[in-house]
This record gives sequence, structure tokens and C-alpha cells, in this order.
Amino acid sequence: MAKHQNNRFSGASRYVLDDELASIVNVSMALEMPLLLKGEPGTGKTMLAHAIAESLNMPLIVLNVKSSMKLVDALYQYDTLTRLNDSRFGDSKRDVSNIEDYIKMGKIGQAFTSKTRTVLLIDEIDKADTDFQDDMLDVLDQMEFDIIEIDRTVSARFRPVIVITSNAKKDLSDPFLGRCNFHHIAFPDPEMMRKIIQVHFPDIDSNLMESAVSTFYELRKVDAIEKKPATRELINWIRALKTDPDFNPDLLAREGIPFLGVLFKKSQDYKNAVSFTNRHGLA
Amino acid sequence: MFIDFFYQLRNVGIPVSPTSFLTLQKALDMGLINSMDTFYTSARAILVKSERYFDVYDQVFAHRFQDAEMPELESLVLDEVTRALLEGWLEDPVSLAAALEMDASDIIDLTPEELIEYFKKRLEDQKGRHEGGRTWIGTGGTSPVGHSGHHPNGMRVGGVSRNKSAVKVAMERRYKDYSRRGLLTQDMMAEALKRLRNMVPVGSKDVVDIDKTIYQTMKNGGEIEIVFSRRLKDRIKVVLAIDNGGWSMDPYIPVVQTLFDYARDQFKDLKTFFFHNTVYDFLWEDPARIKKPFKVEDFIAFDPQTRFIMIGDGSMAPYELMAADGSIHVEERSGKPSIEQLKFLVQTFPHCVWLNPVSSQHWERTPTIRTIQQIFPMFELTLDGLEGAVRHLMAK
Repeated sequence: MAKHQNNRFSGASRYVLDDELASIVNVSMALEMPLLLKGEPGTGKTMLAHAIAESLNMPLIVLNVKSSMKLVDALYQYDTLTRLNDSRFGDSKRDVSNIEDYIKMGKIGQAFTSKTRTVLLIDEIDKADTDFQDDMLDVLDQMEFDIIEIDRTVSARFRPVIVITSNAKKDLSDPFLGRCNFHHIAFPDPEMMRKIIQVHFPDIDSNLMESAVSTFYELRKVDAIEKKPATRELINWIRALKTDPDFNPDLLAREGIPFLGVLFKKSQDYKNAVSFTNRHGLA
Repeated sequence: MFIDFFYQLRNVGIPVSPTSFLTLQKALDMGLINSMDTFYTSARAILVKSERYFDVYDQVFAHRFQDAEMPELESLVLDEVTRALLEGWLEDPVSLAAALEMDASDIIDLTPEELIEYFKKRLEDQKGRHEGGRTWIGTGGTSPVGHSGHHPNGMRVGGVSRNKSAVKVAMERRYKDYSRRGLLTQDMMAEALKRLRNMVPVGSKDVVDIDKTIYQTMKNGGEIEIVFSRRLKDRIKVVLAIDNGGWSMDPYIPVVQTLFDYARDQFKDLKTFFFHNTVYDFLWEDPARIKKPFKVEDFIAFDPQTRFIMIGDGSMAPYELMAADGSIHVEERSGKPSIEQLKFLVQTFPHCVWLNPVSSQHWERTPTIRTIQQIFPMFELTLDGLEGAVRHLMAK
């Protein structure tokens, strides 16, 4: 118990954590199970891993999953070309007869061999196919993998804190889900959003924040928007508003919304948003 | 502890696995959970693996620990049950009446609404008899801790039952999405069709071919020669020909629609054609089959590596397939019987399949299906059938 107590997670300087999420993170760490995070883009799934790493003072290793990725790419890589080159020219310090010198660790391998406990973020797992997902969970379950070229088993020195994110609408496979804890990050409510903005802009004018947040939530209600603006867009938008010297938050409700393009990035969405604001005089 | 909670979650349809429940016990044993709030969130993270069930979880949790009203089973599954019930009613009123323990003559007089009302009432009674009590799941106590753990009745709902009536079967159907032979969802199709890929080298030579490099280097007596090759990319071409005519295909519209939507997203090089019953001189590029005819002969210009997929029930009058002027549309009687056109398509596209939404059990009974089967490799439009079709399409 004690060892769990002293590295509990309670939120980092740039990430606003609700209690619910904090307790889930703590339970997952204690149970040594990966935490699977789902949620709309922009709800801070990736940021959470950064925040955990920061607050626990552990190095963060990010594995960005790609659709073409094979599991072995995430584990290790055997650099045949360098070895071939060395065998021809022999001008490196590496020992050509020792294959181990030419094994480079992939992201999962790095997390296993690290001298300290790490946070391993596996980002956008849904991009890979089901086989990759299940095989990877096997590795993460057993905390070891084999390097066939040198017939060696790499075991994790410290079990990394594993955070997995998924954007998929569809569910992952049952065996996969069975081995993870699950959390769905809902879109922050205005209350939470104010806290998030406070974290990013500590000295923000309360007037500006109020009108920005209320306008933002109004705009999210616009119909037929393909990509709704998320937290990231709001923060960039506020940044833009702050740099505009002519901008007066009191007039936001009357004089049209500046920098709509920061919030709506698809041209059709942008058009819809403009016509919506013109119609409703919200702008 | 909390074993009834586990069964309650399962009973309302949340797929909670025993392993995850043990994990929750472990978390409790480790003293990680020390307040109701933590219990609520941790149990959800450990037991519930999809946000779709969060709402139901909340209701069950509130019921179990805060003594709130149990969510009504009806609202969760009634749509499905109602549909099954109405289908049964239309097909076979007599046995449905028997299942509901009423007179066949009475049931015919009922309107659908009345039938459903009656069914609901019966369901209430049945719950009463099986589970004992309004809340239908063992509610031995409401104190949050120290429950006896004994759960006498709860397992019964939708599960084991001595009375295997149509009503019961209807209730069990809420899992039908998971059944491999059931109606296909888009996700299941994605899973089955994912392997339909044709990897060909394209683009500039920017990938080091290690095997060839080593070979060349050895050949040069150790002088390194790095060999580059092109990247492999998926360049599959798919032609989808859909039977969208006639009432006989009507029941299969949703499943064909799903397949079509998925194919449109998935395959970059997809051409869709439409036909009625079988193929004569033309296929049509427009669903109405009026504006854009496409001569079947012109398929010869297509890449023979194209995967050709026909979707149709293959059920028609035999002459439509065999006779030289078999088309029911006068304007396309060129003298070639449809069966010749089908043979031509199979010769043109070695990788071809016919997907048939009709269950394979019925194929034997329809002569035209049997005939088409001799020409086209035919697969059922189910998850198993799709997998077989993909395997066939990818075979060399």
C-alpha cells in the first residue's frame, strides 16, 4: 500500500483533472492494468498521459500507432544495414559479430528496458488492426518479449504505467477490453472549461473568458457541423482574441465573431457557422 | 461482496466478465477503494468497457446502492422483442398464441398495439413468477456493504428457463448482434472485408530491400550495393454489382445497404453497378437503371485483377436465366441468354464471387440459384459467408 500512496496522481500544472479520472488513474496504476481512454477528439486523452508523467516525475514514452505498423516495430528493430556497412568498412566501435549491438529498442522495448519506471502512451490504438492490438496486449500482459535474432528475452525492469487512447466509435475486441480498465472522457462542461482556460491563461480577463466560453458552447450547438470545435480550438481562439488589440469582449455579443476560422476548420463547417451566427445575431 | 451487483449488471445486458469482477475484488482487497465515489468510478472503469453502457450502469448503481427505481427491462429490449413478436404473429399466429397461452382466434382479432400491451402484461406476470417481486432481480438488501452474497433468483432473466416459449426466445434475441450468423453490422463487415487488399509496389523506389541488398553485396564480393524498391500499397479495384430490382430483394435492403456504405468508404477504386435479377446486355450505373447503361462486353477493358462482387438473391423464373430473350425488359433482348453473360463475367474476372442474402439452406430449393452456383462461387451474405468470399477473392 505505502508504495502506491507516495506516488499518487493528482494532476499536473497544465492539465485539469476531475476527481473521477484521478481515482481511475490511481486504481489502474495500483492494479497494474493499462488504462484505455476514449472520447471525442480534443478532450485531452493524450494530454492525460503527459500529465501523469509530469506529476509522477516519470519519463514519458509515446508510441504513435500507425495503420501499417507491425508489433515488432514497436518492440525492437534489427539494423541490418548498419551491420552490413560495418562489416564492409569496419570503422565503427560496434562489434560486427555481436548482433546485439545492432538491435535498437522500439517504444515498448524502451519502456521495458528503462532504468526507471516510465509512462507508456500508446496513442490511437484503433488505427492498427485487431491482431496488432491483441498481440500487443499479450506483450504488455506478460511484460516480456523475445528478440529472435539474438534469442534473448527482454523483460520489463519496471512495469510501465500504460495509457492507451482510442478515437474509434466502434469498440475494441473483447479480449483487449478484458485486460484494460476503461474510461470515457466526456466533453468538459462550461464549469470545467473555465478551469481549463484558467490553467492555460492564468491572467485572463474574466469578462473575456465568460463571453468566449458562452460563445464557444453556443457555436458547438450549430447543426450539421462535421468537426465540432474542441478544447484545443477554444484555447487557440482565446489566444488569437488576446493578441488582437482592437478586440473588446463586451462587443463579442454584438459585433460578429472574429477568427471563426480558428474554431471551424472545414470549409463547409465554416460556412455553416457563419450563416448560423448571421441568422441568430448571436455573433 | 457485491455479487448481486455483478449479476444485476449482467442482467441489464452489460457484458461484465467474471475476470473483471475479480479485478474489482482485488482492488477492494488492496484497499484502493475507500469511498462510495471511488467505488463508483473504479467499478465502472474496471467492469464497463464501453460508454454505451454508462447510462445503464448509472441506473443499476443507483438502484443497488441508493435504492432507486430499477430501470425497466422493457425499455432496454422492447424494440427488438416487439419486432420479433410481430414477425411471429404475422407468420404463425397459432403457435404464438399457444406461447402466450391464449386462444388463436383471439389473437387474430388483436391489433398490433393490443398484442404488445398483452405481451407486456404477460412479461410482468412471468417476472413475478420467476423472480419474485416488482424489481425482478434479487434485492436481498440495500445496505452497501456486507451483503450475504447469496443470490437465489437473479440469474433467471433471459437465461435458463424451464419454459422455453417464443416469448423467452424473443428476449434472448437481444444478443443477436453478436451472433455470427445474424444480421451484419458495419463493424462486422469491416472486420471481414479488411483482408480484401491487393498490395502492389507503387511510387518511387525509397525502401531498402534488405534481402536483395545482401545478395547483391555478396555477389560483389563484399562491396556494398544498396538495393531500393518500391513501397507496397493497397491498390485493390472492386466492382460491386447489386440486384436492386424486384420485391424479392426488398427484405435484404438494409444488409446490402450496409455493405455498400462500407465498401464506398473502404475501397478507393470502387465501381458500383445495378441489375435486376440477372445480367443481360447491360448493367446500370444509376440505381434507377435508366440513364447510364454499361455494356457488359466493355468489362473486357477492366483490369482482370479487379475483384468482381455480385450481390443478389439469384431467385427468378428459370427462363430469365436460360432463354435467349429471357430479359423481362424488352429493350435488352440481344439474343444472348443471361447465363452466357454470367459466364463471360466469370471468365473476364477470375476473382469473382456472388453474395447471396438468402440463407444457404434455401439454395437447394431454388433452381436458378443452383444454376448460378455452377458458374459463380456463391457465398451467403453473413459474417461467415463474407469471410469465405474474401478468402476466395484473395486466393491466387
